[in-house]
Amino acid sequence: MQAKLEADFTLDLRGESCPYPVIYTLETLEGMNKGELLQVITDCPGSFRNVPEEAIAHGYKFAQDPVKNGQEYIFHIYA
Amino acid sequence: MKSSIQSIFQRYWNPYLVLLMAGILSALYFGLTSTVWAVTGEFTRLGGDILLLFGVDISDWQYFDMVHLQGETWNRPDGWIVWGMFVGALIMVLLSNSFKIRLPQQKRRYVQGLIGGIIAGFGARLALGCNLAAFFTGVPQFSFHSWIFIVATGIGTFFGAKLTKTHWWKGKPSLIRGSTKPTRLNKRIIQPYVGGGIAVLYIGLIIYFFASGQKLLGLGALFGLAFGILIERGQICFTSAFRDLFLVGRSVMAKAIILGMSVSSILTIIVISIYDVTPITQIAALSTFVGGALFGLGIVMASGCETGMMYRLMEGQLLFLPVFLGNIIGATFLAYAWDHLGVYNVLVKNGAKINLLDTLGPIGAISITLLMLGGLYALTVYGEKRYHQKLAIKRGMKVHAS
Repeated sequence: MQAKLEADFTLDLRGESCPYPVIYTLETLEGMNKGELLQVITDCPGSFRNVPEEAIAHGYKFAQDPVKNGQEYIFHIYA
Repeated sequence: MKSSIQSIFQRYWNPYLVLLMAGILSALYFGLTSTVWAVTGEFTRLGGDILLLFGVDISDWQYFDMVHLQGETWNRPDGWIVWGMFVGALIMVLLSNSFKIRLPQQKRRYVQGLIGGIIAGFGARLALGCNLAAFFTGVPQFSFHSWIFIVATGIGTFFGAKLTKTHWWKGKPSLIRGSTKPTRLNKRIIQPYVGGGIAVLYIGLIIYFFASGQKLLGLGALFGLAFGILIERGQICFTSAFRDLFLVGRSVMAKAIILGMSVSSILTIIVISIYDVTPITQIAALSTFVGGALFGLGIVMASGCETGMMYRLMEGQLLFLPVFLGNIIGATFLAYAWDHLGVYNVLVKNGAKINLLDTLGPIGAISITLLMLGGLYALTVYGEKRYHQKLAIKRGMKVHAS
């Protein structure tokens, strides 16, 4: 487990189905200031893959590796 | 050993590999049974079963005659494809400990799911097949109606994606300042044991079907299981294939589906020429186009198609209950509208069953099919590139302005 990161914002997407997690994540990152850290919590299995892959494809960087927490994933992404 | 088991049940499988396997298995299923992997026909029959249960007289509904509404779902191979898919997906969900009741924060999703499900169910049956029989398993049968359906679905999906992007449709997510604590976990893991138990029971049932000479039911149950395992482990989503290209420039699913269809087409033509089975051809008519467009719109509204909703429901995404219900309502309403509201006379009557094998011969049919699939692949790559080019221009302008 890596050191705890202090996120500037948290997007709690638990319960939302695809494609909304990936849409919400990209739109939130778009609206944040560069360098701010976003924490995303999601439990839609489709989003375990499309959120990180699309965040990277859209030019954002991960602060640390995705964390699996039971039936949900936690991502830390720099805007 | 432990790590290989973990990678099978803890990780999702590569969608290319999964759709390749699905393509091979569907060609094999066709070779063994002369029917294709399909689900919405059975949804219509389920609707018929429910109507009969309520004492509705459906003996004069032509559509039920056409889809051979006989017996009960437990006595139909197509029924076992559906239940097998549900069971296969559920077993995988439980073995990977990923079941969780998931309720959307946005309550509007339930309404969107129901309405989208109805539209998708209606459209699929109007076109005589969903993303399977009029798409993934329709193209390899060289039934020309699949190609009309694919184009129409693409158009419907485009408008669906536009709708998804509007504020009143998608709603606002819960964004808070700072960090939040993740869900506290229950240490005791019981899901894999339940999954294992269900797997043993279900395999017993398949053995019973074969042992008692009900070969077609056994094959339906077996292949349904395999398809269910594949779509869940690969998170195969036909809805996302077109939609995500429009929404976020994502192309993985579309490419994997095209690859799977190509392999399946080649294998199917071999099966047809060796065993001399007749390919399954559906009517190509205006109804195929209208149905495909409605289907494309409906699946995006509902966030899932008739196949995708199956494993999502098994994962505990309760949004897909109204979607499943909607699919059956839509399919049943189409069965009613077919002759009672003149759908057949207006949209279907002037159509014809066109099979590329009959019109072009085997070499011509497979060549043109692979060529069109290649074109579809090129279009997908182009769509992805164009999305990212536009994004780069938009960002460049933003930097310039600030």
